[in-house]
Amino acid sequence: MISVIQLTKRFGAQTAVDGLSFEIPPGQIVGFLGPNGAGKSTTLKMLTGMIEPSSGSANICGFDLQRDLIEVKRHVGFVPESGAVFESLTGLEYLEMVAALYRIPQNAARARIKQFISFFDLSFETLTDKLLGAYSKGMRRKVVITSALLHNPPVVFFDEPLDGLDANAAVGFKALIQTLAREGKTIVYSSHILDVVERVCHRVIIIDRGRLLLDGKPDELVAAHNSGTLEKLFTQLTGGAELERRAEDFAKTFRS
Amino acid sequence: MATPPPVLPEAVPPSGKVLRRLFLTLFLRGRGARGLNKKGAPKSVGEKLAFTLFIYVLFGCMAFFFFKQPVFAMATYLHAMTFMFLGMFVASSAGEILFNKEEADILLHRPVSPKTMLWAKVRVLVEISLWLAGAINLAGLVAGCLSGGNWVFPIIHVFSTILEALFCTGCVILVYQLCLRWFGRERLEGLITMAQVLISVAAVVSGQILPRLVFRFDHVLDVSESSWWIFLLPPAWFAGLDDAFAGSSLPASWLLALLAVVFTATVTWLAFDKLADGYETGLQTLNETVSKLKKMRGQRRFLDRLASVPPLSWWLRDPVSRASFLLTAAYLVRDRDVKLRVYPGIAPMLVIPFVFLLQGHGHGHSGGVSFGIPFSGVYLGLVPLSGLQILQYSQQWQAADVFRAAPVSGPAQLCHGARRAVLCFLAAPMVVLMALIVWLLLGDISQLLLFIPGLIALPVFALVPSLGGKGVPLSIPVDAAKAAGRGQSMIVVMVIAFALAGVAGWTWQNGCFWRFILAEAIVAAILYVGLRVMLAKVRWSSAE
Repeated sequence: MISVIQLTKRFGAQTAVDGLSFEIPPGQIVGFLGPNGAGKSTTLKMLTGMIEPSSGSANICGFDLQRDLIEVKRHVGFVPESGAVFESLTGLEYLEMVAALYRIPQNAARARIKQFISFFDLSFETLTDKLLGAYSKGMRRKVVITSALLHNPPVVFFDEPLDGLDANAAVGFKALIQTLAREGKTIVYSSHILDVVERVCHRVIIIDRGRLLLDGKPDELVAAHNSGTLEKLFTQLTGGAELERRAEDFAKTFRS
Repeated sequence: MATPPPVLPEAVPPSGKVLRRLFLTLFLRGRGARGLNKKGAPKSVGEKLAFTLFIYVLFGCMAFFFFKQPVFAMATYLHAMTFMFLGMFVASSAGEILFNKEEADILLHRPVSPKTMLWAKVRVLVEISLWLAGAINLAGLVAGCLSGGNWVFPIIHVFSTILEALFCTGCVILVYQLCLRWFGRERLEGLITMAQVLISVAAVVSGQILPRLVFRFDHVLDVSESSWWIFLLPPAWFAGLDDAFAGSSLPASWLLALLAVVFTATVTWLAFDKLADGYETGLQTLNETVSKLKKMRGQRRFLDRLASVPPLSWWLRDPVSRASFLLTAAYLVRDRDVKLRVYPGIAPMLVIPFVFLLQGHGHGHSGGVSFGIPFSGVYLGLVPLSGLQILQYSQQWQAADVFRAAPVSGPAQLCHGARRAVLCFLAAPMVVLMALIVWLLLGDISQLLLFIPGLIALPVFALVPSLGGKGVPLSIPVDAAKAAGRGQSMIVVMVIAFALAGVAGWTWQNGCFWRFILAEAIVAAILYVGLRVMLAKVRWSSAE
């Protein structure tokens, strides 16, 4: 479903993504992990056609990222980390606008939107009457997630999707992506909440400084490195192992 | 057990000073800087401010046109200009400075009293107002000494300008506080936006018209000959102060001066002291997440229906264009930031053709009219040009990522939707208004035919901002706006307007108007098709 070969992105002298290669089959949920500045968001933006790779190639649903960009976009959904929306539109207007960009007829779009708002416990009245600028962060995130899934894409990229969602919505969302994966959709899930990744994802890809560090099933990786949890494995790999000692040292400054 | 946190030493600057520095920095950088990287953020606050002040100083040099005129005429001009520029500045900035939604999360839980916060903000507003007022009036101080005033003029004019700055700031803050007290949070934002747009448009339009009116009176505006209505105009109160001390010293001047002092004192007391206690409540309510549902249904239906009925529905068959049309229309109708930039931005475009029409009409010869009408028509081409250029910028530019993520090969259809919205909601009403003015002024409906050259050129002008795929609505951060680019296109349109109007007028008088229209239509059609083909070929550039 997703095939990435030697994908690279350079911003001037800085290499944000450095020869990344991996393959993801249909129906798999892949946790895409890395510390801040590792190149996760840049990779996702390249795979969604928002920024152009400096070199390398990617193939999504049989379409080449560079040759068939429009087809790639038609087959992917993306929840960006920023969660930005046009705040002077109502939720419904925003979602209908997104549907129009994917050329979904208005009636079909409206029906799909109703399904999503019922899933997310949003009222249709709120969606119709309130401008997005007045929504809470969680409500706005629900609208952004809806907008990514509206066209029923076979591949979905999530960049910190739980940011702002309450506990119930987060549980619902996790169940949703598991269901979507069972139906054959490929999910790429980028997050810093590692225990969620460990529970939800079939596989994790860990990158740092744009390079692939590890790729495998969470339990197998944890067992192979004898780290106990994915979180510990992550900190071992990305230079965070010293953090507990540093926290202890820092706490001492309050005692003096 | 942990010891309590250390107490800060007394040498730390008082919170009011810290806040004042904070608000000044925030104001000068502008909120559009959020989300930009450091490279994209304005580099030098000082440079930006110095450039603005320099422009104001140049503008103030118009005071030299009042050389050797009565003090009251010059002072009225200076105070009117100051009042307009300050009114526009304070109206557009005060909402953001005083009632910033995000600010409550950052500051309301800090150990700072709301009154300290309000005072810090007011000081920043007054401080910047005084810089601007000083820049506008710099040349006036010299001109005032030379034009019948004496050495007292600069001193009293500085005093009256400070009073005027306090009055302007106080009035706007008072309006905000009263809106908050009487109408509550739900209607506050809408009211503030409407007030800001109206004040800004009025300031721009009157700022263009007033100097021409003063020149129409051959510069002579004497307090002794003025009617009762002069007492209703705040700039005249402050001009009266100047005239009382450094000019004619007539009883009318003293009365105007008294009004200036009394009104400034009252407004300042009400805004900065009496109603200041409600400020914290205002900030808190503004930040409430639970709010009554806004009545958007009627408006929403209106936009949706409009796009669904012929002829608009025929024009908006493509769903992407339709979506872009609705988005642009919604922002033109609702978004405070867009409204504050678009409407004052296009308001001056009504003024210049209007002046040309008046001059042609006033001189009573057909040549003036046959130039003025086509000039007005062609000049209106600036409306879509400017409107679309301004609409490219938004505080929510990051949301435009949705366009790039969508399966749309290039920005062409989005540009077409935005262009059509601007033509419908800005250009068409302006054309109708101008035609109405022509008809009322001349009473001859046949002269409206002279508008045709402008109407033919309009679709071509409207395509220009989209060239290279730049016309995607709301996709660029506000701070990236380049006023210089707009200035160049305005000059080009003005030159074209002069040329077309000249040819149209000549052909009208020599009986070959329709042949000219045919030739213009052919050229415009070729240009239009060419520009559309160019635009259709544009692909998305990498969003780096």
